[in-house]
Amino acid sequence: MSEAATSRPDGKRKAAPPRSSKDSVIDVRHLVKVYGGRGQEEIKAVNDVSFSVGEGEFFGFLGPNGAGKTTVIRIITTLLAKTSGSVSVAGLDVEKDGAEIRRIIGYTGQSIGVDGELTGRENLWLIGRLYHMPNSLVDERVEELLEVLQLKDAADRRAYTYSGGMRRRLDLGAGLVHHPRILFLDEPTTGLDPQTRVAVWEYLRRLHREENMTIFLTTQYMEEADQLCQRIAIIDLGKIVAEGSPAQLKAAIGADIITVRIARDEAFEQSRSRALEIARTIPGVSRATIFDEGVAAYTADGGGTLLEVLRRLDAEKVPVHQVALAHPTLDEVFLQHTGRQMRVEEVKPMSRSFGRRRR
Amino acid sequence: MVTDVGHAQRVITRTRDAESSGGVFTEIGLVTWRSLVKLTRTPVLLFFSLFMPLIWLVMFSQAFSKVFSQAGPSLPYDYVAVLLPGITVMTAIQSASQSGFGMVADLESGFMDKFFVAPIRRSSVLAGKLLADGLRMAAQTGIILGIAAILTLFGLRIPFATGAVGAVLIMLLAAAFGVAFSGLSNTVALRTKNTETTMMVSFSLTFPLLFLSTALLPKALLPSWVQTFSTVNPVSYMADAARALILTGFDWTAIGNAFLAILAFGIVLNGLAVMAFRAQGK
Repeated sequence: MSEAATSRPDGKRKAAPPRSSKDSVIDVRHLVKVYGGRGQEEIKAVNDVSFSVGEGEFFGFLGPNGAGKTTVIRIITTLLAKTSGSVSVAGLDVEKDGAEIRRIIGYTGQSIGVDGELTGRENLWLIGRLYHMPNSLVDERVEELLEVLQLKDAADRRAYTYSGGMRRRLDLGAGLVHHPRILFLDEPTTGLDPQTRVAVWEYLRRLHREENMTIFLTTQYMEEADQLCQRIAIIDLGKIVAEGSPAQLKAAIGADIITVRIARDEAFEQSRSRALEIARTIPGVSRATIFDEGVAAYTADGGGTLLEVLRRLDAEKVPVHQVALAHPTLDEVFLQHTGRQMRVEEVKPMSRSFGRRRR
Repeated sequence: MVTDVGHAQRVITRTRDAESSGGVFTEIGLVTWRSLVKLTRTPVLLFFSLFMPLIWLVMFSQAFSKVFSQAGPSLPYDYVAVLLPGITVMTAIQSASQSGFGMVADLESGFMDKFFVAPIRRSSVLAGKLLADGLRMAAQTGIILGIAAILTLFGLRIPFATGAVGAVLIMLLAAAFGVAFSGLSNTVALRTKNTETTMMVSFSLTFPLLFLSTALLPKALLPSWVQTFSTVNPVSYMADAARALILTGFDWTAIGNAFLAILAFGIVLNGLAVMAFRAQGK
């Protein structure tokens, strides 16, 4: 990034703060969020979640839809009230010091909150001014961001003419105009084409590396968490089920994984139990578990054991649908901790008869 | 800035420096600016929000003028002069009904989060939006009065007893009335987050409120039960004041009553809207 891009709104270059996991900037303790009540059914969206994020860390929340990721990020960014627990950002309490917290954080939501009637430049300018930055500084920042996000050519076009990727980049820019110390991104690449996704990743890496920005990201993409995050927490059904660096999490599995998918017929349950029994008797298999579609076997020697597994299953006439051998990835980590494969569902924004283009 | 200063402190110092560049008026102004820019970029909407009032102005006033002239003694003005205040109220109600739509759109698109996560007062967001609505309603009223004035050149008898000053007062009244009434639309919008519901509630109230008031006919010509209802209908006070300004002169009692009525129901409806707004994310 250019020299100018690293300048702070106060015009001073920020000195690189010491990187130490001791100074945590986000601290979440026993967070609980219950939706509903008052006659409605209560839903515990977040159930006793605790974690902390260090200064300058790139931290990720990984989980499927409905895991509670968005709820947590909205509570930390003061957009949503918690039910119980404590949440602090830069030592400030979300309930008492909401206004102070809002000054130092940037937030990019899951839905792209760009005003389609305003141009790209106007969108960024408006947000910058809302942060009480002086006009000249806002202008400077907006130009920088348009440049960096490659929106310069489209800057004076109304945002509704933008492609999905351009709008996502503009939305990201809106979270960065005031140069936040901590950036919150709620599924920043959901719905983007692979090429744009990689471009966004590249930009986030630069922000983190060159400006030492603390970044908190939620994602339902294993690859995204693996590529970007120094540390991740896997969240499922409102609880954190695993936490650590991607490497640590993968190493904890410590082996290759053979996944055997069983044919989906009436005898699926029996076939799966049978396959599990067989897998456990095979020498070299250190551990075997069932998951929703079949059986996973952990082994030190994937290639050699795979053959043996296949031969035995075939001999016992277990209807095998598919077999795969994998070195541990976050997919396997997720599988191990939740007993389910992670499925990515692309959520389309709800359409109502009065779309966002109308007033 | 030195490194041994705590991070939070560093940030707070920085933002405090920046704070000097704008207060609550800047915040409101920015929100207003945004709403007005959006408005000017959808001229079709502006046109259609004036379309209905103009139909009333030209057609209804023609259709009913004979009935009106037969009902009462011969007057020095046409029915259109009686109806004109009603049309300004109707326009204000119509625009107020739409006030919540923008709210729903911003909540749905996620743009509202941008406001909520910025270090501004939530009240600034609502105030800025209402200010933009008020300016829009004043402008619409001005255009309607202007067209009515042009119609007098073609023989329609509208006295305009108080001239341009009166016209400005009517614009103010209409804007204040519209802003007060926006509270309803915004409350429904914020509570239901649904455009259809917002539209239904506001629209279904528009005509009863108009017909059960003195907006379309002077009080003396209304059935007695409607007369009774019209005394508690804020629309009547607004219409009476505007009618006096057009037909007779500065009736300060009527104008004062109108502003009091607007203030009273404005506080109630917008109070509900503020509560609904504060409850977002709670």
